[in-house]
Amino acid sequence: MSSPESNVQQPPYEPKIIGFLCNWCSYAGADLAGTSRLSYPPNIRIVRVQCSGRVSPELVLKAFHEGADGVIVLGCHIGDCHYIDGNHRTSKRIPMLRQLLAYAGIEPDRLRLEWVSAAEGERFATIVKEFTETVRELGPIKRVMVTG
Amino acid sequence: MTPTHASEKPRIGVFVCYCGSNIAATVDVEKVAEYAATLPNVVFTQTNKYTCSDPGQEEIRKAIIEHKLNRVVIAACSPRMHEVTWRRLLQGTGLNPYLLQVANIREHVSWVHQDRGEATQKAKELVAAAVERVPLHEPLEPRQVKIAPSTLIVGGGIAGIQAALDIANAGYHVYLVEKQPSIGGNMAKLDKTFPTLDCAQCILAPKMVDAGRHENITLFSYSEVVSVEGHVGQFRVRIKRKPRYVKEDVCTGCGLCTQACVLKDRIPSEFEMGMGKRGAAYIPFPQAVPLKAIIDAEHCLLLTRGKCSMKCVKACGPGAIDFKQQEEYVEVEVGTIILATGFELYDMSALPQYGYGRYDNVLDGLQFERLCNASGPTEGRIVTKDGRVPESIAFLHCIGSRDENTNPYCSQLCCMHNLKLAHLAREKTHAKVYQFYIDIRAGGKGYEEFYKRVQHEGIHFIRGKGSEVIQDGDKLIVRAEDTLLGKVVEVPVDMVVLAIGMVPPKDIENVARIFNINRSRDGFFMEAHPKLRPAETNVEGVFLAGACQGPKDIPATVAHASAAAAQALSLMSRGQATIEPIIAEVIAEKCSACGECIVACPFKAIRMDEEARHAYVVSAMCKGCGTCVAACPSKSIKMAHFTDQQLIAEIEGILGRMSEYELA
Amino acid sequence: MLEALRKKIQEIMPQVDGVIALRRVGKGTAPHLFLPGDDLSELALSPQFPLPTPVRIIQAKYPDKRFAVVVRGCDERQLVEMAKRRQIFLDKLTMIGVACTKEQAEYCRCEMPFPKQVDIGETVEGIPQTFLDDFLAKPREERLAFWKHAFAKCIKCYGCRNICPECFCKECVLEDNLWVTSGTVPPPFPMFHLIRAMHTVGKCVACGECERTCPADIPLTILYKLLKRDVETVFHYYAGADPNEPPLMDSTIFLADMDMLHPPRR
Repeated sequence: MSSPESNVQQPPYEPKIIGFLCNWCSYAGADLAGTSRLSYPPNIRIVRVQCSGRVSPELVLKAFHEGADGVIVLGCHIGDCHYIDGNHRTSKRIPMLRQLLAYAGIEPDRLRLEWVSAAEGERFATIVKEFTETVRELGPIKRVMVTG
Repeated sequence: MTPTHASEKPRIGVFVCYCGSNIAATVDVEKVAEYAATLPNVVFTQTNKYTCSDPGQEEIRKAIIEHKLNRVVIAACSPRMHEVTWRRLLQGTGLNPYLLQVANIREHVSWVHQDRGEATQKAKELVAAAVERVPLHEPLEPRQVKIAPSTLIVGGGIAGIQAALDIANAGYHVYLVEKQPSIGGNMAKLDKTFPTLDCAQCILAPKMVDAGRHENITLFSYSEVVSVEGHVGQFRVRIKRKPRYVKEDVCTGCGLCTQACVLKDRIPSEFEMGMGKRGAAYIPFPQAVPLKAIIDAEHCLLLTRGKCSMKCVKACGPGAIDFKQQEEYVEVEVGTIILATGFELYDMSALPQYGYGRYDNVLDGLQFERLCNASGPTEGRIVTKDGRVPESIAFLHCIGSRDENTNPYCSQLCCMHNLKLAHLAREKTHAKVYQFYIDIRAGGKGYEEFYKRVQHEGIHFIRGKGSEVIQDGDKLIVRAEDTLLGKVVEVPVDMVVLAIGMVPPKDIENVARIFNINRSRDGFFMEAHPKLRPAETNVEGVFLAGACQGPKDIPATVAHASAAAAQALSLMSRGQATIEPIIAEVIAEKCSACGECIVACPFKAIRMDEEARHAYVVSAMCKGCGTCVAACPSKSIKMAHFTDQQLIAEIEGILGRMSEYELA
Repeated sequence: MLEALRKKIQEIMPQVDGVIALRRVGKGTAPHLFLPGDDLSELALSPQFPLPTPVRIIQAKYPDKRFAVVVRGCDERQLVEMAKRRQIFLDKLTMIGVACTKEQAEYCRCEMPFPKQVDIGETVEGIPQTFLDDFLAKPREERLAFWKHAFAKCIKCYGCRNICPECFCKECVLEDNLWVTSGTVPPPFPMFHLIRAMHTVGKCVACGECERTCPADIPLTILYKLLKRDVETVFHYYAGADPNEPPLMDSTIFLADMDMLHPPRR
């Protein structure tokens, strides 16, 4: 991360990350990371959804198309879904979309699915740190996609 | 209908919160507000010291009216905190409460980022996203639901009993479900209670009897909840009644069958923590409620092998024994639910170094309680397994608590529990008593005083956690590091009592699933707010009582249970509640009746109109997860407040600004 | 073969209200509803054309009638997936199964060139899908370049969608500006094609009509068949195999197998 002093040498690429977080577990987990004052890179922008099952492949693709360099989908752990098993669908859709990205020649690691409970603030911060680094290494989405 | 101004051109007001210095320390709040003023459709911006406070809310209220705002963006703490507060505020001004969007610049920005420039930039983008999204918000009308005047309480320990009596005494009906054959829970096993040394049974038994007899309480003992459907106000609960093999309405609780049972005194008693024995036909304990016999299907010779002389049947005068009993299912409808499922002791198989379960005279605290109790297996005499009066007893603290390898948390009551047991040991024997502790936690009314009192009863306090127990002939050697002396000590004793940590019951995961509630990191149920909503859960109408939320002693459990009861009562006395109108809706003319949504819905809330050939949502059953929306190939289902258009506007708001940042 | 089919149709005709099959039209063929008493001399088997969509349209129009349809393996499997989605009704449909010839199978690179019940023709073995592995052996950059080149040829004619029997939505997201930017050709890489590919998951039986229809020769089946293979190996879901099995996206979960999804990173 660049500090204000080193603004002149600001790296040209800062990954842009969209996080789709379910309201009941993962968003609360991200809140807990805040309450616990855990630090993580600022690149992620969180979009709240009710359930990770709401995140359609189309929405993920749209985020990429709009210029997100990485998309992370976070939901309740399997078995803990606030909507019983809404996340079971997520667990099929997102991995399949990752496959598709890979087949199309787009780095599948630009898309990540994880389960983060409301109690896992630390896990949230760790995942965000890791994912930011991954996406930083992969470079801008513009290298692989035509963005709108 | 209140005017919503929704169809007019958007006039957005943006309010940026300092939250004292919680946000302002890292985010340049004034800059964010200045930036917001440049965004499309924003006609008013303001910074507030505390947006959630009365003065803060008053300023927003005034601004909405003065500037004819029809959309509101508040950049402050997590919407999980105060979204509801501000929705109410909007409603008060005649604006539809759903024309609000909250940008989370505290939990997701100021508290997690240190660089002021970066944090301010991120806050700006989140505000921009909200400003893009909020014009697409549609006014939604909250749904009113009736609250059925009855409560389901799961768990019949002191927490469940207390909550049940509070609610029943207020005139509402309670269905109390207990999976054991009797209510009473762990408290019923105690001899005395700290710090007052009241006899546990003497203060509990009257409450148990009250609960058993109360006209407003239906007790389902030896029963379990198998499923819950519906929502606050109208939960449909399915309860499994396990067969007792004794007709409850005929049994008089005389106990003749228990005397007659061929296996009498052959099976370790659960109530006596394995210290005493019972038969296959048994009554859990003398004060059991309901005071009815039960036949243990796992051991009964007739039920396991199909062959027995059936002396119990002959002994039973009224003919209550019925080996043909089957599982029964009962369905009840309730308006509210209280979970009071309690705790279990930590599974000691992970800590073999203490010899628990291996050495005869290594006991847990509850087993020692049973030894102390006059109606226990030794009639109150503290003796070793082979009948000796112990000359020395060691109490080990924090076994399976405050330990990164087991449970990091403190089980809260074991210090006081151990002190009380030490007191009882000194009272009943002349044994030398040792306490191996990390530090003594005696926070509570009269607790520190009790600790002081026990210190003067000739008890040896060794500051160091017992690390190992070794059997050496008749003796047990406790090894520990005395941290005050800085050396390892080995103390030979006749009996070791372990303060085993409290953990969630093994089936808590399943219970959480049935009731759809979250668990905290320690595995216990998670409250809606750790300080302000300790008895509520994230599921409206479902409350928590007692140790199922975290380790608690009896006074704390009772207070928590009464709090849960009060919450449930306030809902029921209001008679109705509003539930979020965030539900799905099928756009019938676009729908091709493929049914992907029906397959996707976790709540079976979507049905097919086979005639008209389109799906439709049963709104009362929809919980608003949006899984159907993601499944629909033609996007013919709309999720209120989380439409594709709204989410995309949010994404575009974020990403549009992010590229600006990149260029800058 | 054609003669055998004609005989079979004559045999079935008394039990149904009509038979949906192909009819010779000039040098080509077109779907046709043969009614009892119709002349069967123009009955045809090739060039092939998928019949499930005609079944859907005809059944919608005559919901009470009973029809028979001539199906190849792919047609039959498509009909099953369509039935799961209420687009056709199997209880009012009799299938006349035709096994494809070796030449046809090779032409379609078909893995399973026969229906469950074969009434006409001799069953031949499926074609191994080695070209998929060949494709995956390319480094990622090459795959990307491959698709960028292929999709750049797209003229957004929607032919792939229009021919696909599983594309029966009343309104298509590919025509919605919210998802796919309108008014640009080719469609911006890769929204159009990836959305469509995701919509084939759990439905596509790899008939290959999309690819054969495409005027720009975009090798779409590579993408769809790779996904289909994942669905089969990981979720054990075989599109078109069992009309009584719920569609893929139900609540069942295969956690243990999920690790099998290791997308090629290289």
